[in-house]
Amino acid sequence: MVTYLVRRLLLMLPTLVGITLMVFMLLALAPGGIGAGLQVQGGQMSDTSKVAQMQAYLEDRYGLTDPVIVQYARWIGRISPVKFGQRDLRAPSGDRVPMPRAIDLPSLAGVFAPPPMPRVVFTPATGDEAIGQFKSLQRDAEGARREYVGSVRMFRDALADTARVVGSPLVERLDGKGGAKPADFTDVLVVLDSAQAAAAKATGPEAKARIDALAAAHGKLDAAAATMHQKWALAEETRQRATIAFLAGPYPTSGIPIIPDVISLDTADFGVAFSKNRPVWDLIIAALPVTLLINLIAFPISYLIAVPTGVIASVRRGGWFDMFTGVLYLSLYSIPTVLAGVFAIGFLANKQYLGLFPVSGLHDTAADLMTFLPVTDAQGRWQPGWLLDLLWHVALPVLCLVYGSFAILSKQTRASMLDNLSADYVRTAKAKGVPRNDVVVRHVFRNSLLPLITMFVGIFPAMLAGSVVIERIFSVPGMGSLVIEAIDLRDRELILADTLMIAVVNVVALLLADILYAVADPRVSYE
Amino acid sequence: MRNGFGFKDLVMLVLLLAVALSVWLSMVQRDRQWELLQKVDGRIADLEKRIQQIRVAPAAAATTTAAAPRDDAWARPGVKIERWNAPAAASDPAKLPGYGEGGEFTELFEAQPAKLTPYIASDVYQTRVMDRVCEGLGTFDPTTLKMVGRLADGWQIDPDGLWIRAHINPLAHFSDGQPVTAEDVRWTYLDFINNPLIEAERTRSTQDNLKDVKVIDDHTVEFVFKEPLFTNILIAFGDPILPKHYYAKFEPSQVNQATGMLMGSGQFRLEKLPKGPDDLASQWTPGQDVVLVRNEQYWAAPAPLAGMRFRTIKDDLGRLVAYRNGEGSMMLPTSPQFNKLMKDEPQFEKSSYMLKWTNMRCGYSFIAWQCGPRNGKATPFADKRVRKAMTMLLDRERMIRDIWDGIGIVSKGPMNPESPASDPSVAPLPFDPEKAKALLAEAGWKDRDGDGILENEKGDKFTFEYTYATGGEISERIARFTKDSFGKAGIVMTTRPVDWSRYQELLKLRDFDAITMGWGANAPESDPRQIWHSESIKEGGDNFTQWNSPTCDALIEKGRRTMNEADRMLVWRQFEACVAEDQPYTFVRVAPWLRLVKRDFGNVNTYKTGLEPQEFFKVSAAPSMN
Repeated sequence: MVTYLVRRLLLMLPTLVGITLMVFMLLALAPGGIGAGLQVQGGQMSDTSKVAQMQAYLEDRYGLTDPVIVQYARWIGRISPVKFGQRDLRAPSGDRVPMPRAIDLPSLAGVFAPPPMPRVVFTPATGDEAIGQFKSLQRDAEGARREYVGSVRMFRDALADTARVVGSPLVERLDGKGGAKPADFTDVLVVLDSAQAAAAKATGPEAKARIDALAAAHGKLDAAAATMHQKWALAEETRQRATIAFLAGPYPTSGIPIIPDVISLDTADFGVAFSKNRPVWDLIIAALPVTLLINLIAFPISYLIAVPTGVIASVRRGGWFDMFTGVLYLSLYSIPTVLAGVFAIGFLANKQYLGLFPVSGLHDTAADLMTFLPVTDAQGRWQPGWLLDLLWHVALPVLCLVYGSFAILSKQTRASMLDNLSADYVRTAKAKGVPRNDVVVRHVFRNSLLPLITMFVGIFPAMLAGSVVIERIFSVPGMGSLVIEAIDLRDRELILADTLMIAVVNVVALLLADILYAVADPRVSYE
Repeated sequence: MRNGFGFKDLVMLVLLLAVALSVWLSMVQRDRQWELLQKVDGRIADLEKRIQQIRVAPAAAATTTAAAPRDDAWARPGVKIERWNAPAAASDPAKLPGYGEGGEFTELFEAQPAKLTPYIASDVYQTRVMDRVCEGLGTFDPTTLKMVGRLADGWQIDPDGLWIRAHINPLAHFSDGQPVTAEDVRWTYLDFINNPLIEAERTRSTQDNLKDVKVIDDHTVEFVFKEPLFTNILIAFGDPILPKHYYAKFEPSQVNQATGMLMGSGQFRLEKLPKGPDDLASQWTPGQDVVLVRNEQYWAAPAPLAGMRFRTIKDDLGRLVAYRNGEGSMMLPTSPQFNKLMKDEPQFEKSSYMLKWTNMRCGYSFIAWQCGPRNGKATPFADKRVRKAMTMLLDRERMIRDIWDGIGIVSKGPMNPESPASDPSVAPLPFDPEKAKALLAEAGWKDRDGDGILENEKGDKFTFEYTYATGGEISERIARFTKDSFGKAGIVMTTRPVDWSRYQELLKLRDFDAITMGWGANAPESDPRQIWHSESIKEGGDNFTQWNSPTCDALIEKGRRTMNEADRMLVWRQFEACVAEDQPYTFVRVAPWLRLVKRDFGNVNTYKTGLEPQEFFKVSAAPSMN
């Protein structure tokens, strides 16, 4: 049993990696790709180049420019408890402070010599001043990086402009999403030079204009490249300063070292959801209890109603009760949740009709002032209290979640009960003179429980994933809405964390099912 | 065959679980009591502070009245000073019958604001909350749409547009009683918005033209700009001023990740405001109602309402039911809901104001024609006559009637119809199929072989592809309507529905013949450069029709550099006429605002800026039922 467990647990890791990788790749390959939510323009800007620079900066900041697989690998690195390389620092606020990111300079293939790598020699402040100095260096470094990323984007624009002026087939290669690639620089220059040479030979007024246009394009390109190099040098210098200050350790380091500066242990970091700019973990912690609350109320109800009716239906097979519940449950099962939700709001919650339930929210606006349990107040009026208020608010979502599950559960119970009722041991028990109720409850029902256990384990992960439709109709801020928003906005961190969580619960639930089988049925063994 | 787990064990287990549950529930109850106590404590502390201030106030008031004649020492000599009084309601509620103070106003939102922190979040819902809590140096006057002073009691604008100097009203203070100073303004711009560690990139990139913010004295601040653009005025006066003493308490990462860090000098304040870095757990988070309470110490006339509440109900029907049930005081109905209420329930108007009006925040929808090359080939729409003909072939009045239930007006150009930038005497191009056919014939498109479809000289048939984003019944209906209209004139239109991400990609690649979309608006004028200038054609800019008009480019450049408002408006009107003449878009519809507001509230006026809920009051007597 132990070896079986260990084997299963070890197999989980590749399974989880496989699931998250597949989901991530599917989203990344979909039109728009990861981070499409960032593309929606917020403010109003006058210049196209500014929009492009902002986009470039945001993409750089969230690492969206890297290949998809690199982004995924980096995420694995962050959630893994085993870390490699330089350890993060921990600010007193509890935030991780990673080492300033490296800056890469696009190679202009020897045409433009890159500026020399700055070598900063600098003694960071110590003691009380260290933190203040580090903070201001961090700010400088981020500011210089932003300028640099913007200048790269401007350079790429200049490159595409030049290609357009030259008017060669290059244009088709350079136009399109994200502008031109710096790697095309040499090609553009070669074509530009030959175009200039050709233009110089031609005569006439048009040739003059062409020469001027080409020269202007060349000048712009040179200027853009020079600016880019200059900004890079500045960004690199400030980065080195910030790195030196970082290595001096203004804050305590995070995690436990195994081999210092090579391998260390640290808590998993799920990162920050860039669409909402909040830690992913906070988002999940806020959404999960709501979903759990509704589901933990809903599932016992569906089991408590469906299982006994299934048992009774099987005992009185073909009777009016069997027929009635069968028809009722199946017709409930066929009502779509969307419709049921709309009816529930339109009739049960609308004061023009019944108006029995609230439309939205989990609490009354005055819930803060309520007692916890129902009480009778000084005027002798009955007050429902906080707990009942909560239950009253979740009543409609729970109703919508529950009604469809009766059919499956009760039919499943009925079928497995019938299987056992016709078994030999039942006949033997009856022949022995065991009372009918004892036969049904002690012998048959117990033996019919197995499939129900399996079903519960299958349903459990779905509980955590939440119900998108119900959450939307009743404005419940649960897991379903969170997942859908993550997918809509293509938020890398949020999607991956959601997928991981749902996958872990699924895999664990499957393992649990297998173990429960062995416990419930002595014939099953994993030895 | 005795199984270890019997019925008795089950009962024991259930009992054990019940005990554990009740222990946990009692802990929850303790926590609730503790939270309530904290809240009450906070309120008492606040009250004590306020009493303290009231004691100090008479002395302070005496000194300010002594300095009543305005001292212009702050101003630069020789430049005109515009002076402003302390902000007052556009329509004074206190003079109306039934006026009373107190009451809570609940607005129902269609979607959840992700955060409330200014500049970190910038969705429309966050803005609606923030506008009640924060103030900028200036604001748009609700009736004239001119920029007028709010926190500022005077300003000077450099005629050459390179600097703006503003004087803050010495009475102005934040909701915690601290005065609004020039340092707060400088800090907001330079150390908050333009701090690269703060996630305010969207605002930051609009302020590229800002060079410096100088503190002249305690209440005087000067903005210095790199280039003389009219947007400088919007940058300097439009953005809310944040209290430095509050926000500087937090680390940048805390500000970035906080959900409810919203504090300002406005008429309301956020009920659950974290007090400091240790108190972040108490802040508002999405999923809860946003609750604002009246800022009792507001430095000008305080709001009549005691509080405002913003509740999110995503489902359209749910929102209307909640509104009917009295869970909300104001909501945005869908067009069909609004029409159905108008037609079927005449008694509804007795309990609710049913408001429908256009204001500066109304955007427009349009069909854009590919004026430049698509994949290297020119489309038929490169010809201005063809674009004009396309507009004249569309009966936009009927489109509004059939598709939007008659709600909306025909749009005539890129400027908001309520804005002074739009010329009221200009009418949209008429629906005139005969003239359209003549224009098409002039451009070479005639039915040459008698098959009912237009051809050009080369014999190519007039066909084009119409791209739209899926996900709405409305866009399907527009597609059907346009297909019919153009089909009647002998133009074959094929449709290409794509999802939103792909749609945006196609826009960037300019890979379309015609597309339909809408632009939003939130101010009386916006810089047209981003959408209409030929510079914005390149590199995936927003001029996706690749429309290139040197005349309009020149007008845009001229308008951007005209600092005088009246002169600039004249330039914008010329620009509007220029766009109308060229028709790179067929302008379809301006969507008016629809709102339902309970008649329990008074002083509900529709303005060119939208609604001004801070002027509302709860009608104290029973509302008259006629």
